[in-house]
Amino acid sequence: MTRQAFLARLREGLRGLPAQTVADVISDYEAHFADGAAEGRSEAEVAAALGNPDRLARELRAESSLNRWRDERSPSSAAAAVFAVLGLGALDILILLPILMSVAATIFAFFVVAVVMFFVGAFALAAGPFTDPPGGPGAAILVGIGVMSGSASAGAILTIITIGLINALVWYGRLHYRLLKPALEA
Amino acid sequence: MPEAIEIQLKKGALELCVLALLSQHDSYAYEIASKLADAIGMGEGTIYPLMRRLQADGLVETYLVESKEGPPRKYYRLSEAGKQNFISQQAAWKSFSGAVETILGGAQ
Repeated sequence: MTRQAFLARLREGLRGLPAQTVADVISDYEAHFADGAAEGRSEAEVAAALGNPDRLARELRAESSLNRWRDERSPSSAAAAVFAVLGLGALDILILLPILMSVAATIFAFFVVAVVMFFVGAFALAAGPFTDPPGGPGAAILVGIGVMSGSASAGAILTIITIGLINALVWYGRLHYRLLKPALEA
Repeated sequence: MPEAIEIQLKKGALELCVLALLSQHDSYAYEIASKLADAIGMGEGTIYPLMRRLQADGLVETYLVESKEGPPRKYYRLSEAGKQNFISQQAAWKSFSGAVETILGGAQ
């Protein structure tokens, strides 16, 4: 493989990452080819020693996504981190996917319940006092506030659990992968 | 494809080897890769994802050095955290490999 072909495949595999990250990575490998040439190695030799550019791109993409997840807790960075770990092939996706799907569906269902309960509480707080409830208007207001704060804290706890589960998955994926495998298989 | 245990051993050793090389002197990726590729038989390209991870974990820092021909070269050096990490990993490796040696010796 020529230098051009190697860098083109690497660039293709890194598509979607921030432009600055891609530029940094490409310049690293360009410098590697230049150093190899200075030692009298051919482009094909250097490319062969570097390994498979597709797999290198997957590793670099995973590192970048995991760093973004660490710096920024958002649904999109979480999804990117989970897919990057799965893309490494460190986990058996056929076994893991059904488990992941059911865990994700369960958490989503709890989130929906928390949101619905929040609005139920808000309704009880706003409309309850005018419907002549048992215990008087004061009881309706207290019940409304209680249900709202209960569902808000349930939502907060669910968020913490979700972040913990994603961190566990990322940790497990990295532990069972740790960078060397593709080079040995290439 | 090499045996799984060999992959696992090399995986654990690679990061330690990079930290060890950098603890002797600052270096650039090509030099690290060519030393390790021969010594432990890893693909040279693997060094770059590893260096990015070490940098993201705050164990190494980079600086640029002007070179006579071509663009400036990126050098890596151990950070304070990297030095601490190397010392503790080195101690863990020595006590582990010593224990394995003893058992392997006894099995002969």
